[in-house]
Amino acid sequence: MGFDEFARAFLNYDSLVAAAPLLMQGALVSLLLIVSIVPAALALGILVAVAYDLGGPLRRRAIIVYIDFLRAFPPLVLLILIYSCLPFLGVRLSEFATVVVALVANGSAFFGEIVRAGIESVGRGQREAARSTGIGQVGTMVFVVLPQALRNVVPPLASNMVELAKATSFAAVVAMPDLLRNARTAQDIVYNPTPLMAAAVIYLAVFWPAVRLLSRLEQRMVLARR
Amino acid sequence: MPASAATGDAVVRIEGLSKTYGTTPALHAVNLTVRRGEAVAIIGPSGSGKSTLLRCINRLEEPTEGRVFVDGVDLTSRSVDINKARREIGFVFQSFNLYPHLTAQGNVRLALRLVLRLGRAEATARARAALDSVGLSDKYASYPSQLSGGQQQRVGIARALALDPKIMLFDEPTSALDPELVGEVLAVIATMRARGMTMVIVSHEMQFAREVADRVVFMNEGVIVEENTPDELFNRPVRQRTRDFLARVVRH
Ligand SMILES: Nc1ncnc2c1ncn2[C@@H]1O[C@H](COP(=O)(O)OP(=O)(O)O)[C@@H](O)[C@H]1O
Ligand SMILES: [Mg+2]
Repeated sequence: MGFDEFARAFLNYDSLVAAAPLLMQGALVSLLLIVSIVPAALALGILVAVAYDLGGPLRRRAIIVYIDFLRAFPPLVLLILIYSCLPFLGVRLSEFATVVVALVANGSAFFGEIVRAGIESVGRGQREAARSTGIGQVGTMVFVVLPQALRNVVPPLASNMVELAKATSFAAVVAMPDLLRNARTAQDIVYNPTPLMAAAVIYLAVFWPAVRLLSRLEQRMVLARR
Repeated sequence: MPASAATGDAVVRIEGLSKTYGTTPALHAVNLTVRRGEAVAIIGPSGSGKSTLLRCINRLEEPTEGRVFVDGVDLTSRSVDINKARREIGFVFQSFNLYPHLTAQGNVRLALRLVLRLGRAEATARARAALDSVGLSDKYASYPSQLSGGQQQRVGIARALALDPKIMLFDEPTSALDPELVGEVLAVIATMRARGMTMVIVSHEMQFAREVADRVVFMNEGVIVEENTPDELFNRPVRQRTRDFLARVVRH
């Protein structure tokens, strides 16, 4: 295959123009998924970690099961399972809601485990100091322990946020018109893979700088710890 | 010189206090009373239960047996509002335990906001007044990492003092400090003492204990061996164990 042939298939200008509206809509849906899922998963993960820390042995064991199960379960399988099983249980969720539920559950387990480690890294003396001034358990957690705990785990948190954002492309398998799915729809219309190529470029344009930023962040944390 | 006003009612009353960690006995049947306006120094070898005793006075440790009353409130009772009780009991830690993510002012202000529920402006004013009283009026905005050990410990004292406690507990407040920084912290404690603050100080600074305390308690292996005025205890110790200990620390 010569370059001309390659260009006609993968870098076809007319196809690109034809696919542009679909790609834009798809990118918007993907963005909407990311901003719905990532913050919600992080919030739920923090809640899980705090519930673990303030809980008795029984609750702790239950939370470990929650975290381990969802970390072990492949997110794509979880998504398809929820998508195909919920209707049989009489629960009707939109595709969007299905994706959000599956990925928030998955993300919350990873974030929960990371934040739990962060909370454990904060010295006992910090809590004792707060409690000795009459601050309650919750106030101590929110204003003394969590700020330090989160700061200690910024790199793994950020890295998992990127993972979770990338996982939103799984939405395509449950017929969500996200970037990936719309690119494939456009591909069927224009009869060449140019739209798919364009989608790949868009994904890379977003996530490449994100992972570069991550490396910088990690480096800075290592330096700060010296 | 200590105010000799040690005649007030009991701020702390400890009755038959025992504490066991797993199978390690740390305290055994300790009785102690601290009267209003009194300064009590606790001395004794490492591992003798000094910290454990002090920590039981605000229930940072749960006593295994016995009762602890602070200002008439039974801290060991099940129904006690421990957070309310702790407002009245200032605690100063050997390792400062400042919040590293907050400024000096933020450290002092947190409990004023959360516990006393003061507005932001009022809490800030009161935090600054507390920092002023420990000689840190130029350090409001400094983070703990930007302060010397002596300054950090003074923030720790201000944090407790700002709540206007009925009693202050100090657990070896100067033993984590470089020798040249010990004086500034002891000076702050002496000033509080001169203003009539009731306090219990665990300290290795024998000279300071002698100067600031109305009463000195010598502990060994989880029991109070001997307690007396500084003059009596340091110059005419009754028990052999006390004599041995004093001989050791004075020689060093
Ligand atoms: N958290 C703990 N767990 C187990 N043992 C402890 C703990 N804290 C103190 N101990 C033990 O209790 C005894 C008294 O300790 P402590 O009150 O810290 O003595 P001091 O302050 O006089 O050095 C020691 O034997 C110590 O090892
Ligand atoms: Mg100690």
